[in-house]
Parts: sequence; structure tokens; C-alpha cells
Amino acid sequence: MEEFQTGEETTFVVDEISTIIKESVEGAIGGNAYQHSRVNQWSSNVVEQCLSQLTKLGKPFKYIVTCIIMQKNGAGLQTASSCFWDNSTDGSCTVRWENKSMYCIVSVFGLAL
Amino acid sequence: MHSRVNQWTSNVVEQCLSQLAKLGKPFKYIVTCVIMQKNGAGLQTASSCFWDNSTDGSCTVRWENKSMYCIVSVFGLAL
Repeated sequence: MEEFQTGEETTFVVDEISTIIKESVEGAIGGNAYQHSRVNQWSSNVVEQCLSQLTKLGKPFKYIVTCIIMQKNGAGLQTASSCFWDNSTDGSCTVRWENKSMYCIVSVFGLAL
Repeated sequence: MHSRVNQWTSNVVEQCLSQLAKLGKPFKYIVTCVIMQKNGAGLQTASSCFWDNSTDGSCTVRWENKSMYCIVSVFGLAL
């Protein structure tokens, strides 16, 4: 008799998500300097890459992916998020990435179906 | 003021979430808040969602005053 469901199949695994985020960010903007005309495309690429990798995991989750790209210009930035969900099954992961000219903050929220 | 921004973002999301929960609808919520100083820096945000198009939705509000921008997003996912 085969068992399809293990503990890992239906939980939000933070390390796995964190790796996906880092790869998506590196792939989309790694090695680039901040350019106002390209930022729109970059942030879209980051979230789309993340989401497509997340859906490939095939887990029974809904996902929200948000991406913030900010030019390094001395401005202060503060972000916060709050969630009303099921603590036993849902989770989030935030990755902060930077290079010489910009910051990139990506958050993934996974909510079990 | 840099020292108070942390408290402000927390207050914004907590206030939003408590009001949303009071609606009593069968939804899970994610609330995010970004506060940025007006200093000439460029800021770009994007989000993408993998959900049920017929029942789930999001709402983003951009607010500003003389010294800062505040961007709040609420995502609601039906149970």
C-alpha cells in the first residue's frame, strides 16, 4: 500500500521557500545597478519567477508573493506585515537582498487550502 | 522620525487586521505596510498571487504626507 502524504507534503517549509526566493532574485536582478526604467520589469520578473517555482512544488497552498525594490539613496524604509490565518498550517518567509545600488525585499506567504 | 517608524508600521497593520477580523467574514488575511521617507529614492513594489480568482482579492492604498509615503496592501483569501 503506497502512502502519498507525508508530514512535509502539506507544511510550509521556510528553508525551501527561502532558497526559491534567493534564486529568483539573483536570476532577475543579480549583477544589475538600479535603473529607474527597468525596475518595473525587474520586480515583475522576481514575483513571477518565485510564483512559478512555488507552484511547481505542487503543495496544496495558495501563495502571495510581494517584492520591493528600493534605490540606495539614504532614505529610510520600514515594512511590516500581519496575518490572520491558521497558525498550524500557514507560514511566511521574507528575504532581504542587496547590492551596491539597491535593496530588494521579497516576502512569500503560504496559506494551506 | 526614524525611531518611531517601527511602531507606526506595526500599528497600521494591527489596526487594519483587527478591523478586518471584526467583519466576521470567512477569510484569511495578509496585511503588509511599507513606510518610506521622502528622500528622492526610487521605490518599486510588485506582488503576485496564486489563489482562487472567484473568491479571493486584494486592495492596495497609497498614502502620503510631506515627509513620507505609506503603502498598505490587504490580501483576502476565502476559507
